[in-house]
Order: sequence, then C-alpha cells, then structure tokens
Amino acid sequence: MIGDILFINLTDGLNWVENRRELVDKYIGGSGLAINLLNELCPEGVDPFAPENPIILAPGPFIGLYPACSKTIAMFKSPLTGNLGESHAGGKLGVAIRLAGYNAVVIMGASSKPVWLDIKDNGEVKVNGASSLKGLSSLHTIMSLDAVNPYGLQSIVAIGPAGENFVYYANVSVDGYNFFGRTGLGAVMGAKNLKAIRVTGCGEISVKDLDRYKRVFEKVYEDVIKSGKMRKYHDLGTPQNVLVLNKIKALPTMNFKRGYFEYAENISGEYFADNLLVRKSTCPLCPIGCKHVAMLKNFFAEEHEVESIEVGYDYEPIYALGSNLGVGDPLDVLKLRAVCDRYGLDAMMTGTMLAWATEAYENGLISLNETMVEPRWGNAENYIEMVKRIVAMPNEFYVSMAQGKAYRNLGEEFLAVIGGNGLAGYHTGLAFIIGTAIGARHSHLSNAGYNLDQKLLGLTIDPVEAVKALIKEEAWRCVLESCGVCLFARDIYGKHTVLEALNAIGFNYDDEGLERVGRLIYGLKYKFKFREGFEFQSLKIPNRIFETPTANGRISPEDVKKGLEIADAEVRGLVAEATAYHVF
Amino acid sequence: MPIKLVVKNPDRCIGCDTCVFICSRELAGVLSVKHSAIRISRVGVGFKITVCSGCDEPDCASACPYEALRLRSGGGVELVGPDKCEKCESRPCLDACALGALQWDDERKRPVICIECGVCAKFCHHNVLYYGEVV
Repeated sequence: MIGDILFINLTDGLNWVENRRELVDKYIGGSGLAINLLNELCPEGVDPFAPENPIILAPGPFIGLYPACSKTIAMFKSPLTGNLGESHAGGKLGVAIRLAGYNAVVIMGASSKPVWLDIKDNGEVKVNGASSLKGLSSLHTIMSLDAVNPYGLQSIVAIGPAGENFVYYANVSVDGYNFFGRTGLGAVMGAKNLKAIRVTGCGEISVKDLDRYKRVFEKVYEDVIKSGKMRKYHDLGTPQNVLVLNKIKALPTMNFKRGYFEYAENISGEYFADNLLVRKSTCPLCPIGCKHVAMLKNFFAEEHEVESIEVGYDYEPIYALGSNLGVGDPLDVLKLRAVCDRYGLDAMMTGTMLAWATEAYENGLISLNETMVEPRWGNAENYIEMVKRIVAMPNEFYVSMAQGKAYRNLGEEFLAVIGGNGLAGYHTGLAFIIGTAIGARHSHLSNAGYNLDQKLLGLTIDPVEAVKALIKEEAWRCVLESCGVCLFARDIYGKHTVLEALNAIGFNYDDEGLERVGRLIYGLKYKFKFREGFEFQSLKIPNRIFETPTANGRISPEDVKKGLEIADAEVRGLVAEATAYHVF
Repeated sequence: MPIKLVVKNPDRCIGCDTCVFICSRELAGVLSVKHSAIRISRVGVGFKITVCSGCDEPDCASACPYEALRLRSGGGVELVGPDKCEKCESRPCLDACALGALQWDDERKRPVICIECGVCAKFCHHNVLYYGEVV
C-alpha cells in the first residue's frame, strides 16, 4: 500500500509495517520522506554508533516507473560530519524495495552478534546470522548471498571490513558496483552488527491511469535516448571531466597544491575508455550505462599466474586517488580504487586523508613512527599499504586517519575537508567552496557550485548572488531526490517534466507546490543539522583553498565569509518555513 | 518471412531491465518481474537474456498433456486453454524449454508466454533485442 514503511529492530529482532501515507502525499518520497522520518526517529544528540541511530532507506516514487530514476536515499546521523548523514545510491535496491511493497525501510536498534537481513514481500523479514561473512569484502558478501529468484528483483547491499571496524567514511556497496558513499553509512551498519541486507521484491508497481503514464514514459525515454542531454554519461562517463578541468586549472593535484596535473592525459576518461574499459553497467530502467568498468589484470607470480578484477571507475575516485595523490599511472589508480572497494572505503575521503598525510609527512609534522610506511606522491604501492592500515588502525595515527581528522590537529590548514566531508575534485572557484559549505550533506552534488563556477568562468562571482543561486538549485535537487531521479538525468527532468510525471502516477502538484516542497525538504535537512549542533560560524575552510589559484582566480576569504553569513540567514528562513508547515 | 523477436546481440546488454518491465506492462498492465516473459541475469562479465525464441517446433507445446499451447504462425506458441493450466501441477511446459523461457504466473495459474508483440525491442536501445523479419 502507498505509504507503507517497514520497520526492523535489530535489538529484539521484531519488525512491523506502519503506513505513513500523509508523509508521502506531502513530501513525495526519497529524501523528502527520509528527512521527516529522521527528524522523528533519531534522538537528539545521539551517538552515531548508538543503537538508537536509525538507518532510513527511501526510494522515490519514480523508481521502477520512469527511465533514469534509481536513486535510493539513505539517511542517518553521520559519524563523519556529526550531523546529517545522507547518501544516495543507484543499483537495483530502489526497485526491489518498491516491488516488495514499501516506500521506505527503517532499521533501528543493534544486534549483539553479526547478522544479515533478508527482506521479502508482505512483511516477511528474517534476521540471519552473519558470522561466516565477517571480514569479507562487500562484493564477496553480495556474491555469497546471491540467490536467483525468477519471480522478483533482488538487490543486496553489504559492508566490507572498513564498516565492520567503524571507519567513519566506510561505504556500503549496492549490488557490487553502486555505493552509498561519503558520510559513513557503512560504519553505522557496522555499529549495528549488520553486514548485509538482501531485498527481494516479488510484487508489482501499478498506476491508475496507465495510458497517461505510458505517454510520459515514452516522452522521457525518447529524450534520454535522442536529445544528447546524457551523452557525457553514456560516452566517457564522468571521467570526461579530467581533461576539461585540467585545461581550466581546476583539477586538484597533490592535495590541492595546484589545479593541473602533468599526467592528466594518462588518467583521462579518453584513456580509460580507449584502453581499459571492458563493459558498461547501469541501473534498472536506465539505458545510459554510466557505470564504466575496467579490467585490472595482476600477474602475481611467475608462469603468468594472473588475477583479474573488475573495477568501476568514475571521475571522483580518479581525482582523489589519481591527480590529488600525484598518481599518474591509470593502472595504479585502478589498483587503489580496487583496494578501497575491497575494504569498503569511500574512495574520495580515503584520497583526501592520504593526500593530507603525504603533505604532513613532507613537512615533517609526522614521521614513519606514525605512518609506518612512507607516503610519497605517486607511490601507489605505499598508499595501498596505508589504506590497509586505515582499516586495521594499528596505532593512534591511523585511528585519526580512519576518523577523517588531522592527527593531533596538525596541518589542519591543508586538510581538504569542509563540514567533515572531503572535498570533491573541483578547484573551480568561490561557488564550489560556498556550495560545499552550505550543502546539507557537504557534497558537490548538493547544489553543483562547480557548475556555477564553470558557467561564470572569467567573470566576477558575487557571493550573495552565488548563495541565492545555490540555495535555489539545492531546493530543486531536493525535489529530484524525493522523486528518485538520478542527478545525471537532471537535464531530462526539468520542472515541467517532473510535474507531468508526478501527476501521471497519482500525485497532485502544481508549479508552486513543487517549488515549495523542495524548500521544505531543504529546510528540514537543516532543522536536523542545527538540532545536532551544526553552525555556520564554526565551519572551518582550510587555508589551502585560498592559497591555490582556482579556475576563476584566487578565492577571497572575505567573499566566503560574506556568503556564509547570507546563507545562514537564508537557511534559517527555510527552517522556519518548514517548521511552520509541519510541526513535529 | 516471419516476424519475430530475436536476441540478436546478447553481449551488448548492459542490464537495464527495461525490456523486463516493459513486457510486464504490456502483458499485465503493471510493472513487475513475475508478470514478464523476459529475464535478465548477470553471468560473468555480461548478462544472460532469457526470452522465448519463437521455435518452429516448440518443445513446450509438445510437452503439454492438455494441448493448451498451440503453435502460432511465424513461430512460438499461444495459450489457447488457460483453464487447463489451472489444474496442472507438474507444469511440463516449463521444464521442456531448454532456455527456461517460460515463467509461471502463480496468481493466475498459467505460464507467462511471450506474445511476440515486439514492444521490448522498441525499448532496447542497445539492439540486444531485435523484432522484425527473420530469414
């Protein structure tokens, strides 16, 4: 039934379904539904690793119905940022949850021993022992739990050893090649002793006016295939950015010391596609195939003993484990990505920490006493050894690395982190920095400041204007996330199309209503952040960002300060509007 | 020349499952896997596409003791006696197909059979599925 939410309590193993139709009617689903549930269910000031921290998985209503819509939204309190934990993943999870009959799945409590969850239709939930899965990579866990069911769609999510060990930026793999990255969902699962979740959806998704829905589907599908709006993602994928950004000196290199990399060609989307790409992969109902997968061959002994690993590659891991670590060999980039996947680490944050450690070592702030292996620009083998230690945490230094913090606050001025989250790979200018700072999940995808910088290349960016544009964009993205639209398809799903698509499947929105719901959701995210202690005044911007010229010249600290002051006032306005609309 | 559905370029499949859902939409008016006559499953680095190949001498029809499946012109089968399927417990048609291309609809107690409408191929952007004249 529309509005059904599956609750599972791992402490006592009980599960039940509650209908929250009113939330779906008001907030669509996805992030709109998730943030309401988070504000309700997460106790104020809770330790992110406490059993009381809920995990909410919410796919929007477009998932399983429209092309290029597959993003399930995860919300929880983040160990990395200390406030809003939000992460989006593609793959089959969203459709499987929808076919199982739910608008969201909420996991509460914690198990005393390792378990995995088996979720099927009609409230069928089993909590199974997972001791034998302990220490396995997420991919091997997924392979172990794979059970073909001809009557339904199955999706498996799993954590690796990093999640089991509570690394603050441990990720969660969805079906092997999609990830809930960034804000540490893997560690929250680990704290619940939850190794994996298998969802099998054997039900159906129906719409009342089939003909009307079909017409919208066909129109959107044509646009996806023929308009060229998604060509970038289909062709080279996001790594197309490597050369584009390098050219405008916005490709962060060696811990943001500069914006260009002499080996950019070697790790470009063009190089990977021409030489290493073996297949493309995609999400349900999306013909694009944005996920580019390379084959990494490793001859590990004489007589051509070989192991072959499929490694997905995207722009962000290439920047984080490539240019930003001075790694210019594409195979080394893949090796580093593979080791992050093996242990279940967010590749971006791992890169951020390794880059900081290399510079701190270079400057003599830390030594081999701490690092145990020498961090050196371009030396992938040593970085791989360090990644293993981030997961194993053999000393105090690596504990701090695993928490995403500068060891003993050393070299904080060059730790490329804002709001707890590592910066994405865009040294484009003021809008990117302000955008990351004010984004509810401190992600480049929150509001695409990098896009604004690139549009205004060579022009003066007014911080006040930038903040207004970024907030408008983020509020709109809150609508897309609530529907389930993949942000790669944002040019397909303009406001008019979203309205048509929503109303064809039984929602009743108009122009103004849609804009308002975006603002409300953004406001509710900040309501949670403020409640958990976030404040703009104490947000630190690393000095490195101001030192290194961006694609748009040097960023002025005064401009950032001014932008954040305006943002604070604007966001508080949104929180007030959201609170007035929905009193908890 | 007969017009039918053919898995033409199986190695080009990226696993979007659009055909699976489009099929259920045509056959049952909903989006689901269980109502679909197509299955896509990951095998090695690629995908396996399981769908009726429109045989000239269909093993499924031969296996049916009730003659519920009739050879259709151009290949494949049509279900002519769904009432007979209701009582059938052994479902020999499902086992008879070497591809395993027939699925079982548990609610309506009958096999899910490709109707050779070709809509799936229309939505297969990578030309894995082809619907048209076959030599």
